[in-house]
Amino acid sequence: MLAHHGWSEYDSATTLKLTGKIVESGYEHPHGHVRLETPGKTWTVVLAPPSRMERRGLEKAMLTPGAEASVEGYANRGKPEELRAERITIGGKTFELR
Amino acid sequence: MTPLGALEASALGQAMRQWMWLYPSVEIAHIVGIALLFGSIAVLDLRLLGVWKRVPVKALAAQVLPWSAASFVLIVPSGLMMFVAHASDFIASPVFVLKMCLIMAAGVNAAAFHAITFRTVDVWDSEGMRKLVPPPSARLAGALSLALWVSVIACGRLLAYY
Repeated sequence: MLAHHGWSEYDSATTLKLTGKIVESGYEHPHGHVRLETPGKTWTVVLAPPSRMERRGLEKAMLTPGAEASVEGYANRGKPEELRAERITIGGKTFELR
Repeated sequence: MTPLGALEASALGQAMRQWMWLYPSVEIAHIVGIALLFGSIAVLDLRLLGVWKRVPVKALAAQVLPWSAASFVLIVPSGLMMFVAHASDFIASPVFVLKMCLIMAAGVNAAAFHAITFRTVDVWDSEGMRKLVPPPSARLAGALSLALWVSVIACGRLLAYY
């Protein structure tokens, strides 16, 4: 959760698309995150700083547990359950995170 | 709950993570403090290494060191606030542990310089001696100080990566 600029640890050669249910969320510094329950695996999805998410219209209330969400991004090489999301689609709207 | 978990769960820890502008503001205060500390200390360190030989070391130290000391008023509270927000992550990070050790080493270096080499400053900083390079112990203290504080800054930055 600390790492907030080291993008090299994510495998950007392979884009993953995950769809699932938010089971936990943090609209927190330095980066927001959701725990996303997908068939067979629950991912920790690293989002963007809350100030950026808010500016782009992705509000705290939209990341409520129980909501369906899709994310696109790159898996962490060292932590196989962690994904850094490039964008998130929630409630039919897509928000860029980078 | 562990003591570190209790720190993170504290009102301050929660505010740091959840208030929109608190964390970035605290980061800015930390960086301004670091700029003040490193800027003021580097001036004296360079003088100890033999730069600006016409400037008396004692007078220069008297001018810049209060600024170095004052910088901790910005650095320490802001650092503690960031620590509280993610205490267990920081403690688990070898970079953080290294950073704290380097800060202590820089403190020991400064204390040793003042306790030993600076005692004889009136001799090697006298008008006749001043145009020479400062004694080896002074140059060593200056070089160590620069190297240690640059390493501290590097560790601080690398915390975001490891």
